[in-house]
Amino acid sequence: MEKIKRILIPLLALALSGCLAGCKNTKDTYRTLEEIKKDGTINIGVFSDKNPFGYVDENGNYRGYDVYFAERLAEDLGVKVNYVSTEAANRTEYLQTGKVDVILANFTVTDERKEEVDFALPYMNVALGVVSKNDRIVRCLDELGTDDAVIVISGTTAETYLIKNYPDIPLQKFDSYATAKEAFENGTAVAWANDNTEVIAFAMQNKGYTVGITELGSSDTIAPAVTRGNTTLLEWINKEIKKLGKEQFFHKNYDETLADTYGEEFKETLVVEGGKTD
Amino acid sequence: MPDLGLDVLLKGNNFIRLLEGLFVAVKISLVSVALSIPAGVLLGIIMTGKNIAVRFFTKFYLEFIRIMPQLVLLFLVFFGSTRSLGWNLEGETAAVIVFVLWGTAEMGDLVRSALSSIPKHQYESSQALGLEKRQTYFYIILPQTLRRLLPLSINLVTRMVKTTSLVLMIGVVEVLKAGQQMIEANRMNSPNAAFGIYLVIFILYFLVCWPVSMAARHLEKKWG
Amino acid sequence: MDFAYMKLVLPLYEKAAVLTLKTGLEGIVFATLAGLVCAVVLYEKVPVLRQLVMGYIEISRNTPLLVQLFFIYYGLPKAGIVFSAETCGVAGIAFLGGSYMAEAFRSGLENVAAVQRESAYSLGMGRLQTMRYVTGPQAAAASIPAFLANVIFLLKETSVFSAVSLMDLMFTAKDLIGLYYKTTESLFLLVIFYLLILLPVSLIGAAAERRLQYAGSGT
Repeated sequence: MEKIKRILIPLLALALSGCLAGCKNTKDTYRTLEEIKKDGTINIGVFSDKNPFGYVDENGNYRGYDVYFAERLAEDLGVKVNYVSTEAANRTEYLQTGKVDVILANFTVTDERKEEVDFALPYMNVALGVVSKNDRIVRCLDELGTDDAVIVISGTTAETYLIKNYPDIPLQKFDSYATAKEAFENGTAVAWANDNTEVIAFAMQNKGYTVGITELGSSDTIAPAVTRGNTTLLEWINKEIKKLGKEQFFHKNYDETLADTYGEEFKETLVVEGGKTD
Repeated sequence: MPDLGLDVLLKGNNFIRLLEGLFVAVKISLVSVALSIPAGVLLGIIMTGKNIAVRFFTKFYLEFIRIMPQLVLLFLVFFGSTRSLGWNLEGETAAVIVFVLWGTAEMGDLVRSALSSIPKHQYESSQALGLEKRQTYFYIILPQTLRRLLPLSINLVTRMVKTTSLVLMIGVVEVLKAGQQMIEANRMNSPNAAFGIYLVIFILYFLVCWPVSMAARHLEKKWG
Repeated sequence: MDFAYMKLVLPLYEKAAVLTLKTGLEGIVFATLAGLVCAVVLYEKVPVLRQLVMGYIEISRNTPLLVQLFFIYYGLPKAGIVFSAETCGVAGIAFLGGSYMAEAFRSGLENVAAVQRESAYSLGMGRLQTMRYVTGPQAAAASIPAFLANVIFLLKETSVFSAVSLMDLMFTAKDLIGLYYKTTESLFLLVIFYLLILLPVSLIGAAAERRLQYAGSGT
């Protein structure tokens, strides 16, 4: 009995202190390039419900623009890839706690996020957009009343933008793309604000919807992100993106994963090649 | 009959993926129950002790675990452990830790009340027979309590299986997430898939939990 | 710990606590009503209704609330049945809680000695009168601890409301982590608020249980 107590009490104390302790410790949570190579597997955080950027097909395989890039990264690094399904609000957290090595989940570069994670060179352009049903197309956010809910996904740039610039618009927040889209189709809100790439894709894939606002807020870019301070991995990804630019990799990626949805129309506005924006 | 999106399940290996997702959920709960039972028995024995500090600690642990929603515990362990302890846990591991913490608390309390419901003369008689304290526990008290505990711990399995649905929220691809991925991949050609898939998941959970609850109830009547 | 941040987001947590309590309690009220009806149906062995109630209890107790909510909120609209998120939350808690409340009340009723009911009948009281004046009050007292345990259980279950976009405490914390990346502070406030809501109920429950142990010691 005494022995048991001696073991169990410190264990309990540990569990409790773990719950209560508040010290921030992000040191050593990331794996360097060497460590990843040695392990033979890279953990990449992608969306599993954001068609056509990151989703899972009927055979259980990850697909999409982000995934196509992830596959190539792993191939050139000579390692296998382990996909970790992520939600928008968890992306920073996953990097900071070392649950993934890289986030390739349509992660928009913003000043706030730069404080938390390190972004590599961009591979896509993005702004915000608003899609609505054809029977009531929202062309300007000022026309929305205080009863007109707008859907946003928790932890996205659209959410931050609307909170800051349109504090009176009631937001209906969802934690995943899958649930947000489902609710939008079911008609629980007048509009859905998100990356313009995503809302354009939605309007093209689903009949009866129009993107009334195609450019909202600032023009931003989407880039891979790594844990803050993980310079070996960051530099390698940057070199890789430059190298891929020479073979027009992201144009090919567009043809393979996005052309079915967007056609040729958005190719040049959307793709960023070799990390160079103009 | 309108299209309810059940055809999505027949595509590729979709239905198998759903079952695999369900298996993840069942696996997490079975592992957790297997670990919780011995830990809970220990905790229960400790809780019947007389040491005030020990009683305070165990009581605190029990109350905290019982009051916090399991989802909150999952978040605390999944994100908090790396932040404050430097552990890097995968979703499934975090889920098992939380479920074991929770299961141990529940079992511990059950064991405590079962132990204290064993009449005092049982202890006294075995002492009179010359058994040591440890022998008394192993040969006299525990066998009697375990019998009462079995149906209750089977019940815990059902509760855990149901609670595994929450691990979706810490990024584990289980049955609900697998379902969402299918709905998403088929949004264009099968717009009503949400009805069929969520209904099937509902039924799957029922098919797993119901027999287990029935077994628990049967044993409760038989041994209770 | 960033206390300035915590002060800034405190109103959001307060709002969320109100939502958690409001939807939770509304759900609990309906669950209690449903539980009462079901318990009486089971106890009085009303034909047909009894089978229906038993079926409902099995379904409700053997499926997770999250799955129930997903089906109601995302699945049913495809069949033309649309509820608001809040209605879904309340309905989910009521559907889940009904069966747990039914169990609590039924075992309360069965706790009342059969001789009580028989004596009431032999005094010429009807079924309703017996329930109202004899078995009901005694059963109610006996089921208080189980009832309060269910209240805690159901309030805790509201933490899955994020699935239907209801800004409860859990979702607020999650959302704030995604917005401002202050994980420790957000989780700390989350724990504090749940303690504030649930600890009092838990204490009342423990006190009630002790009281009833004394009350029941005579029988």
